[in-house]
Amino acid sequence: MKHHNYSIIGHRQPAVDAASKATGQAQYTVDIQLPGMLWGKILRSKYPHARILNIDTSKAEKLAGIKAVITHKDTLGKKFGFVRNTADQYPLAVDKVRYIGDEIAAVAAVAEDVAEEALALIRVDYEVLPAVFDPLEAIDPEAPLIHDGQNNISARLAWEFGNVEEGFGESDFVRQDTFYTQPVNHCPLEPHACVASFEPPDHLTVWASTQGVFYLRNQLSRTLDMPISNIRVIRPQVGGAFGGKIELFPFNVCAAILSQKTGKPVKIVCTREEVFTATRCRHPMIIHLKTGVKKDGALVAVQARIILDGGAYNSTGPVATYLAGAFLCLPLKARNIKYEGFRVYTNKPVCGAQRGHAVPQIRFAIESQLDIIAETLGLDPIELHLKNAVQTGDVTLNKQVITSCGFSECLEKIKAQRSPALPEGKGIGFATCAFVSGATYHLFFTTEAFANAIIQANEDGTVSLITGVADIGQGSDTVLAMITAEELGIGVKDIKLITADTDLTPYDWGSGSSRVTYQAGNATKMAAAQVKKLLLEAVSHELDVYPEELVARDGRIFVRDRPEKGISFAEAVSLAQKSTGGEPIIGQGEFQPQEAKVNLQSGEGNTSPAYSFGAQLAQVEIDKELGKVKVTKMVVAHDCGLAINPMAIEGQIEGSIAMGHGQALYEELIQEKGQTLNADFINYRLPTARDVPEVETMLVESVDPGGPYGAKESGEGIIVSTIPAIANAISNATGGRIHSLPLTPEKLLKALEQKTK
Amino acid sequence: MLTFSYYAPTSLNQACRLLSEAQGQARLLAGGTDLLIQMKRNLVKPQFLIDLKKIKRLKGIEYDPEKGLRIRALVTHSELLHNPWILGYYPILAQAAQTIGSVQIRNKGTVGGNLCHAVPSADLAPPLLVLNARAVVRGLKGKKFIPLEEFFCAPNQTILKDGEILQEIEVPRMPERSKAIYLKHGIRRAMEIAIVGVAVLMALKPDRRTCAEVRIALGAVAPTPIRVVEAENSLQGKIIAPEEIEKAASIAAAHAQPITDLRGSAEYRQEIVRVLTARAITHAARII
Ligand SMILES: Cc1cc2nc3c(=O)[nH]c(=O)nc-3n(C[C@H](O)[C@H](O)[C@H](O)COP(=O)(O)OP(=O)(O)OC[C@H]3O[C@@H](n4cnc5c(N)ncnc54)[C@H](O)[C@@H]3O)c2cc1C
Repeated sequence: MKHHNYSIIGHRQPAVDAASKATGQAQYTVDIQLPGMLWGKILRSKYPHARILNIDTSKAEKLAGIKAVITHKDTLGKKFGFVRNTADQYPLAVDKVRYIGDEIAAVAAVAEDVAEEALALIRVDYEVLPAVFDPLEAIDPEAPLIHDGQNNISARLAWEFGNVEEGFGESDFVRQDTFYTQPVNHCPLEPHACVASFEPPDHLTVWASTQGVFYLRNQLSRTLDMPISNIRVIRPQVGGAFGGKIELFPFNVCAAILSQKTGKPVKIVCTREEVFTATRCRHPMIIHLKTGVKKDGALVAVQARIILDGGAYNSTGPVATYLAGAFLCLPLKARNIKYEGFRVYTNKPVCGAQRGHAVPQIRFAIESQLDIIAETLGLDPIELHLKNAVQTGDVTLNKQVITSCGFSECLEKIKAQRSPALPEGKGIGFATCAFVSGATYHLFFTTEAFANAIIQANEDGTVSLITGVADIGQGSDTVLAMITAEELGIGVKDIKLITADTDLTPYDWGSGSSRVTYQAGNATKMAAAQVKKLLLEAVSHELDVYPEELVARDGRIFVRDRPEKGISFAEAVSLAQKSTGGEPIIGQGEFQPQEAKVNLQSGEGNTSPAYSFGAQLAQVEIDKELGKVKVTKMVVAHDCGLAINPMAIEGQIEGSIAMGHGQALYEELIQEKGQTLNADFINYRLPTARDVPEVETMLVESVDPGGPYGAKESGEGIIVSTIPAIANAISNATGGRIHSLPLTPEKLLKALEQKTK
Repeated sequence: MLTFSYYAPTSLNQACRLLSEAQGQARLLAGGTDLLIQMKRNLVKPQFLIDLKKIKRLKGIEYDPEKGLRIRALVTHSELLHNPWILGYYPILAQAAQTIGSVQIRNKGTVGGNLCHAVPSADLAPPLLVLNARAVVRGLKGKKFIPLEEFFCAPNQTILKDGEILQEIEVPRMPERSKAIYLKHGIRRAMEIAIVGVAVLMALKPDRRTCAEVRIALGAVAPTPIRVVEAENSLQGKIIAPEEIEKAASIAAAHAQPITDLRGSAEYRQEIVRVLTARAITHAARII
């Protein structure tokens, strides 16, 4: 789809770091070797809930090769948390441990196995406390308390727009279901890791596999009580994150303290088991959902009561609870909405952000229910969605402002792809999604800017793009380089990237909530435009034309109507430098969305500056005797705004589908009494290359007025519709409906058995 | 810290001697795809590691039209996949090998390791059981021949005694007018440990309708891979018909003693045994 005349934007661009990653040159955190570096390891709780009576580290300290052992006494005992005013986690347990995996002590040793051996020598006396694992039991006022407080509710949000009771009264058909979702891990191929190096008297450098260097710096600064300017956080290459590396982790703080104690750099690399059990997982939810519609499918009322199983700490809990409610309906409109979300503490691994952040769960429920409703009323589910679809210019009940929307076009495109009659054992399912392009609000209550960029032009015709953005593998560096190149009329190869280093680069919040293309993209575009302005002015004097007559393209700056009249980009830079008396040719840009307008209590406010939309079809083949599901194909129509790099967008969509496919069908952390039983890649099944279905992508490019060149998000939205599309396809093929994820063969056989009863 | 002494003998004799001198403190190393994981997880802590890979006598596949097939212990799954005799006369073995792990695992993992690790889900066990294979075991005192049915004792436990090494597997010729098939139930299309494995060998009488001999073996549904003779007996001598197949399949399911674990419930596994046994019999009886 070419509807523009850009030379870089909209063209397929391989990732700028692809070659270095493919050839093994790329340096990840684990690759960092510093002179005298020590290995750190964490001692974790064996019990889901216990009081710590005593920690005896004396034996461990005496082990040859051990350089330091720390407990909470070596920390400042400051709580941290994703959302500042709900901070509830200590770097090392102070009084209690709250889940199997909770951090108790840390050691630094000359080698990894020595560190491991030392852990076994630390003696912890526990008083085991009654534990609670089921969120429904945890919510009971009589349940054992996991934190100080009145109850185990870590966040509660509730709101109503319109009046759902009246809405149900007006409805021709009301349907009520309960859906369940499971805990899943992000499974980044690169495990969480960091290296901390304390340089006396008071400076700390941290290399970390993180989604945001400034956010991490901030959190470290508070937890270690050090000024931010004394901390330098650097992001080496990151091998995947998916929301799981957005937070500060206790091991980051431990590495810093161990380095301070020993005077040596300390590296901590999580084992896969630790990644599975002691980082974060997706919030499991119990979703009670009630929907009322008119005979023609018009949505009259939607009511949801949700219990989020949060695990032992708050993490992103309040944000997750908000998002599940904020995206109860979008991309659809309903006349009345009521939402109540409880996030509950349990003595289990902690739940936080993961691709789609709480929206995939709610969308699984609502899209499954709409499918049931459409079938019951004899309506085409796509028509039902078309009838209720949001449109450009709409403001939803909870005040989300839809600045651009190609949702109906996505639906029409998908409708055209639907094959009519299917043979026995085959099925087709349909579902939709909407997602944010970053947040408009400072939920994290930090004072920093959102996104800054600096661009400096060099006299050899290249430019340096300096940004705090932490590319985590999604290809955002490439997109920012493309934006810079387009604006300045040079090539992507001419862009030198200096990124994600808090001492060298200007502020950026990081790779979270699908914000980078939109927010950092705008900042980058603005910085590039400033550089261009300086260059065009200089060239206009030289060529004796007005700056407006000049064009920067293909490495030259020339007169629009007389292309032969012009000079090279490199010459223009020298010229500009001379003409300003040697000042650097620098542009700066920023992006700052409107002031905080989301009110968590009322649920009102514009979540994001722009929303992506999508619709997808899943085709499945079912072995009804074995209950086995094979997803044969996924067809996606995605409104991601203008596609700056279509190749990267296809990659993101395929990635979302690979991940969503696994989470729909088999991924699940199996927990028994707080213990994770399958913390490895044989028993926790992640889709292999042979399992991932064929994907067909159709882009619907609604050009957003606020996005750089009209771009919106594409990293997260699509996983939201992948899961319900597969669920609906299974139901379409078999007539059996499964209300809980994952949709395993065993559950399918049971559903089919029930159907025949 | 993980410390051990490493030996790499070049003859079977040497290996047997080292093994018995170690008095139970040694482990044999073949491809290492099971053993090294156990060691890294501290599940086994051998003092001595005896690497078999330098022993030529443990490598290669031989075939004799009269005596049948000889698969030496160090033969890898990938070798099974590409061997012309296996592909020509015992395709069930290639078919089973294809389902194991990933390319990397198939390149490293060996037939000997698969059988000696003795997990109930070992994918080569059911096919070799229906092929009436026998194990050639080498000890300090010489060779022993053990029918594979007697080889497995319990999870992770074989009949091998201290100082004994599995040298090779002998597989007789397949009966006339016979076909064998292995069906594995798993969720993913690779890297999947069997939830249930079913192997069936069917030999038909000259009428090509009557069962002359049938052998049925199950994996992952009992403490060891097992033959289900009761199911076999119900089919023997019968004209192959859907009711007979269903009956044999139900008997096989009834004789499975699965447990509930991470990979599936006992009840579900039992049902899968029934479905897969019926499918395997149908398949083996049809295409001859
Ligand atoms: C990721 C992964 C996926 C896997 N997938 C599958 C699968 O799908 N199906 C499957 O069946 N298995 C699977 N396995 C298990 C394993 O790869 C196979 O069982 C393999 O055949 C083991 O062979 P090995 O040579 O690596 O054994 P080793 O690890 O070298 O040895 C295994 C055991 O057998 C003993 N042993 C080895 N050779 C002899 C011998 N000649 N005499 C006596 N004792 C001996 C060793 O001492 C050890 O106790 C998988 C393993 C991994 C890591």
